[in-house]
Amino acid sequence: MKRLLLTLVIALTAVVAFAQRNVTGRVTDRASGEALIGATITVKGGNTGAITDTDGNFAITVPNDEAVLLVAYTGYESAEVAVGAQSRVDVMLDAGSTLVDEVVVIGYGKQIKSTLTGNVAKIGGENLKSMPVVSVEQAMQGQAAGVFVESVNGKVGGAMRVRVRGVGSINAGTEPLYVIDGIPIAKDARNTSGAPLNPIADLNFNDIESIEVLKDASAKAIYGARGSNGVVIITTKSGKSGRPRIELDVQGGASMPTGKREFLNAAEYIELFTEAANNSDDIDGLPYDDPDSWTEFTLGRFSRYSGFNDSWMEKVDRTDWQEEALRTGSVFNSNLSFSGGNDKVRYYASGNWGNTEGILVSNDLEKMGGRLNLDFDATSRLKVGVNLNLARTLTHQVSNDNAFSTPMQLVALSPITPKRDENGELYDRPVTIYYNGLIDVEDGSREVFTFRTIANVYGDYSFTEHLGLRVEGAGNFYNVRDDAKFGERTDNGNDSRGYGYSAFAGATDWNTNAVLHWDRDFDRHALGFDLGTELFTSEYTRTYVEGEQFPSDDFKTLEAAASITDATSTLTNYSFLSYFGRARYNFDRKYLVNISGRVDGSSRFGKDNRYAFFPAASAGWVLSEEDFLKNNSTLSFLKLRASWGVSGNADIGNFLSLGLFQAGNYNGNSTLNPEQIANPGLTWERSTETDFGIDFGLFKNRLTGEIDYYIKNTTDLLLEVPVPATSGFSTQFQNIGELQNKGIEFTLNSNNFVGKFSWTTSFNIAANKNEVKSLASGQTLIDDGSNTNVVKVGEPIGVFYGPDYAGVDPENGDALWYVNETDDNGNIINPGATTNTYDEANFVVLGSPLPDVIYGLDNTLSYAGVTLNFRFQGQAGNEIQNGAGNFMSCGACWFDNQTRDQLDRWQQAGDITDVPEARLGYGNGEQVRSSRYLSDGSYLRLKNVTLAYDFPSKIFGKTGLRDLRIYVTGTNLLTFTKYEGWDPEVTTDFLASNIIYGVDFYAAPQPKTIVAGFRVGF
Amino acid sequence: MKFNKYWLPVLFMLSLAACDKELDLDPAQSISEDLALSTDANVKSVLLGAYDGLALDGMFGGNTMRDAELMGADGEIRWVGTFEGPRFVFFHQQIANNFEAENMWVDAYYTINICNNVLDALDVVNEADRAQVEGEARWIRAMAYFQLVRFYGQAYEPGGNNSQLGVPIVLRPTRQIDEASFVTRNTVEETYAQILDDLTKAKTLLPEENGVQANKHMAAATLARVYLQMGRYADARDNASEVIESGAYQLVSDYAAEWNNDDNSSEDIYAVQVSSQDFLESTLVVYYSIPAFGGRDGDIEILQKHLDLYDPNDARLAFHYEGAGAMRTGKWRDQYRNQPVIRLAEMYLIRAECNVRLGTSVGAPVDDDYNATHTRAGLPAASGVTLDDILLERRLELAHEGHRLHDIKRLKGSADGLNWDDNKLLYPIPAREIEANPKLQQNPGY
Repeated sequence: MKRLLLTLVIALTAVVAFAQRNVTGRVTDRASGEALIGATITVKGGNTGAITDTDGNFAITVPNDEAVLLVAYTGYESAEVAVGAQSRVDVMLDAGSTLVDEVVVIGYGKQIKSTLTGNVAKIGGENLKSMPVVSVEQAMQGQAAGVFVESVNGKVGGAMRVRVRGVGSINAGTEPLYVIDGIPIAKDARNTSGAPLNPIADLNFNDIESIEVLKDASAKAIYGARGSNGVVIITTKSGKSGRPRIELDVQGGASMPTGKREFLNAAEYIELFTEAANNSDDIDGLPYDDPDSWTEFTLGRFSRYSGFNDSWMEKVDRTDWQEEALRTGSVFNSNLSFSGGNDKVRYYASGNWGNTEGILVSNDLEKMGGRLNLDFDATSRLKVGVNLNLARTLTHQVSNDNAFSTPMQLVALSPITPKRDENGELYDRPVTIYYNGLIDVEDGSREVFTFRTIANVYGDYSFTEHLGLRVEGAGNFYNVRDDAKFGERTDNGNDSRGYGYSAFAGATDWNTNAVLHWDRDFDRHALGFDLGTELFTSEYTRTYVEGEQFPSDDFKTLEAAASITDATSTLTNYSFLSYFGRARYNFDRKYLVNISGRVDGSSRFGKDNRYAFFPAASAGWVLSEEDFLKNNSTLSFLKLRASWGVSGNADIGNFLSLGLFQAGNYNGNSTLNPEQIANPGLTWERSTETDFGIDFGLFKNRLTGEIDYYIKNTTDLLLEVPVPATSGFSTQFQNIGELQNKGIEFTLNSNNFVGKFSWTTSFNIAANKNEVKSLASGQTLIDDGSNTNVVKVGEPIGVFYGPDYAGVDPENGDALWYVNETDDNGNIINPGATTNTYDEANFVVLGSPLPDVIYGLDNTLSYAGVTLNFRFQGQAGNEIQNGAGNFMSCGACWFDNQTRDQLDRWQQAGDITDVPEARLGYGNGEQVRSSRYLSDGSYLRLKNVTLAYDFPSKIFGKTGLRDLRIYVTGTNLLTFTKYEGWDPEVTTDFLASNIIYGVDFYAAPQPKTIVAGFRVGF
Repeated sequence: MKFNKYWLPVLFMLSLAACDKELDLDPAQSISEDLALSTDANVKSVLLGAYDGLALDGMFGGNTMRDAELMGADGEIRWVGTFEGPRFVFFHQQIANNFEAENMWVDAYYTINICNNVLDALDVVNEADRAQVEGEARWIRAMAYFQLVRFYGQAYEPGGNNSQLGVPIVLRPTRQIDEASFVTRNTVEETYAQILDDLTKAKTLLPEENGVQANKHMAAATLARVYLQMGRYADARDNASEVIESGAYQLVSDYAAEWNNDDNSSEDIYAVQVSSQDFLESTLVVYYSIPAFGGRDGDIEILQKHLDLYDPNDARLAFHYEGAGAMRTGKWRDQYRNQPVIRLAEMYLIRAECNVRLGTSVGAPVDDDYNATHTRAGLPAASGVTLDDILLERRLELAHEGHRLHDIKRLKGSADGLNWDDNKLLYPIPAREIEANPKLQQNPGY
């Protein structure tokens, strides 16, 4: 099929035909006569559009002389202009109107926003440009209502999590579907090992024209099966006809951690641990000077941690290990683009290079990429084009947060331990408590190269002025090379004279789609149909070789390894096949109706349950077009929307419906081992979503907004159900259970001032309530035993569940928990009762890691070429667990350096404190699974500030310069939070999953970055 | 060009009905269960997978041996590692969601299910090999159940009715999750009966010689172990004697030579086969050894109280070494070496103990069996050996090998002030298992 479609594209280019025609023109401000850059022009009732270039010029194809152009520009009133016989149409706009009439990209097409019946949030490319962050999602944070964006930690190139309208699944995927220039991009974590790599990190967001997030069911239903978690449509820039334009953007700056934690210094360390050892001896009834006493043992450890000497007695800080883990990073980005074209051909080409040194030692990322977008009007009926994106990223990765070698775990080492011995060698165990991760920095490396090519060819042919066919074919080729080498002093290599591996993984995705579209206006009736099909196939292969025994650390490749300890190759694949249709109708742009349906099949499900049907319907009523509101001076736009639809989720592993055996080996012979138990009935997870919305505009649309209420029920959850392990299996994927997300979103855009001094404000806020409605029959809880996050019926997914910490017994310093014993009805029998025995405390819900509310506030002020933009972003109502509390804040339960708050420990009867008596070895309230280690995770952050100056164009004279901007940008400059850890935007990378949010485990803080740069255009 | 207007959409519509077969994908690196159990060669590969199961870390790959030592530590060894699972086990603070308790349960039943699959598919095995395949599957299954019943059920009491709860007995392969998957616990008596049934059948079905896989002597040695645990001394003695007298195994002359070997020694009856080419490693090395040899951070230290038990001239004392700031055992020192589980020395000690208890001298005089290991350790031959002598010899010879807890229970001793029948000397039934199967009854105290 994909071959057939590609043939079609080629065939289309060969078709010769006649007769639409091009219209060119210029859009200007009526008052000043200045060009309006980026105004949108669309043919009324049609689906073609154009955007003005930097001189305000546009070119657009119109079907006939009756065509009417709609011209819209942010902050201005829209205009309608009849084309007639003219070939040039100049338009002047009046300040005052706003976003309502802009064109938005929807699935397989574009639409004017005022005629939308679904909920689509748009982020313009201007809002992304020049941000000194590595990936697109980071730039999206706080910019669209109901779109939650989180960097799991501050490692460069680390994973990002995006959730549209809440967490939509328990065991299947929860990331939205990304569609780049019409092509769905597989979001499978295609790394070779370790922490997940970001699937769209390779995109250069200076190339992005706009990002549209499809949120409600009717907007995303056209992506049916794969849309249940929302759809993020990324459109890259295309050239505009007119004089060639060259733009260069260069920036550089520095970054530092958003926060640090306070740890004990040497004197405090010795004091607290001696006290803890004494306390444990008291428990055992041993004199402190008994050779087997905890105290003697601890004094021995002090000397060991000092390098087997008595230097600890000086109580001098030898090393500040946190400072060893963190550093001042740097950022450099440059971007060069060329664009232009004529009546027939438009091009956009760009190249970029950037280097980011992270705030963690030995963590950096270098990226390089190029893009070529070509659009070609082969004939008046046929448009063809190519989008080509090449990217190469080199990341020096650090280990996952749970590895001893990860830099942040250095904070566990004792302040009495010197970094190096007298020979200048880094100390390692037994002098350091744990492996000294700095050895990895000196003698190890892990380089991950990713190479990605996304190539996309399209042809769009108009059979008549109403009927067209668009065919697209795309390949997404993703290769990762992951090479690691650890010297013989490192944790990985110290027992094997060095250790190394080399992995190569490749993913190839093919996507072909064809859509037949028909649009026609009959008097005041506008009718449109789309009919399409899509095929997606994906194959992933990986080879991996691991070796040991190197002649010396100087050898970097496995060629030098005397012993190859592992070598393997793997392959897996899946496919989707879809058919879809959509119909839309509007009467006078007043009454709007939209219906769509899609049938999807996936190789991932049992043969008899492969296909599913995903319908959607929506309606809108533009009240402001009614006579009773039409000329209302205050209310300039008012639309009511309602939508309902079903979307699906198949984002699970491949082949999960089958009963399988896999190969293994024992004693050099191959074995067959049970892999999974069959479930032939496995099928799609389904989300049914209802949305009610109001779009409004006030004061000639200077103030516009949207309010939405939605309720989304996800049923037939693809749930990894725990089964009795006595069956030989621990879990099985079943379609069972129900999850609900419901919430309210509110967006407000305001042009506070228009004219010489302009000030715009956008504000968005969204509240989402997530609730697990049911699980497998009889199951009320999914608790993996080791983590505090659980899935519990009646609660949000991932709630913290465990014993509720009740503080410290003032009499004896014991940690206390609330007993919370319940009667048969689930009521707590004796609410205040406490116990000093952890096991006796019943588990209760302790809080949710998911925010109740997320919000963003963006302001842009400009005057005489000076522009100030600042954006706040935040969330409220969530809790964060210090998952390493049992190591770093456990009252000296073992020798890890402790956070300074542990000095508030109970010492004698009558002490009132939250920190129990310190007890070495025994511990006292150190169980990490309790509310002791939870804290409020709400935060408000100054996400981005940019101060820019655009030089006035008149000074350029005949230099060829068109514009010149200098700017300073800061990200994450201020963070307001009660969270005591490094940074409240956190979920430790090795645990991050659908269920686990809000757990800190030596996670690197976010970087705070300041860059200065310039942008010049010729 | 009127035609032009219509042929493309028609073609396009036709293409809609095309490519359903694109959805027919088969996995490239797995095979269906039907195929895995349909041929002689495949069933034998599945059987070999059961050995892999038995070698998992939650089984004899090491953790259950480690935890038998940690639970019975009694001040002789100390856990100083940071992993919570073993730490709570060592401090007798394990709770129902303890990782180690869950890991063993899951690994044991995974292995049992493989055995059940093999036993169910015997009719596709070549007739000539059928008895052997059955015997091997039964031996492996018995090994798994014996380890389970000792960790999750209160100790077997000789002469009692042993109606205390053991573990669920599952003897059929699971191909789907249905009502039958929700099992209940059998009694300790029933669990031991099943173990004995499998082992006695295995002993008759298995050949004399079978490489590193199960043979007749391995079944007899396991029977000796099980009978000893049950206090059936005559049966234990006779089976141990059978193994010794078969001549299939010989004590190595130098104690140290028994350890850290690439291949089974002449003394090894059953050893987990480990090599660097395998995912499998001995977790005893991981926890008992130190970074220089491929261990973790030296998580288990051997304390003076243990070292004081040895005669200063005992080679087994000298086999301990100092590393990473504490004393270590040399037994679990080197990475990627075979890990002995049952060895001939244990048979001598079982025979000696049973003979002295019963006042018999089946196979050999008590003194001779005692001296077999005692003199090998460089100590002078003893005479007039008592039960206490043998129990001490056993403790030293088999130290750090996962016998300690089970001996404490068998001998009704105590550890860290906990009586042999204390609930904290048991694993809890894993919390995840009780959630998945509410029919299971938890051990008291959890």
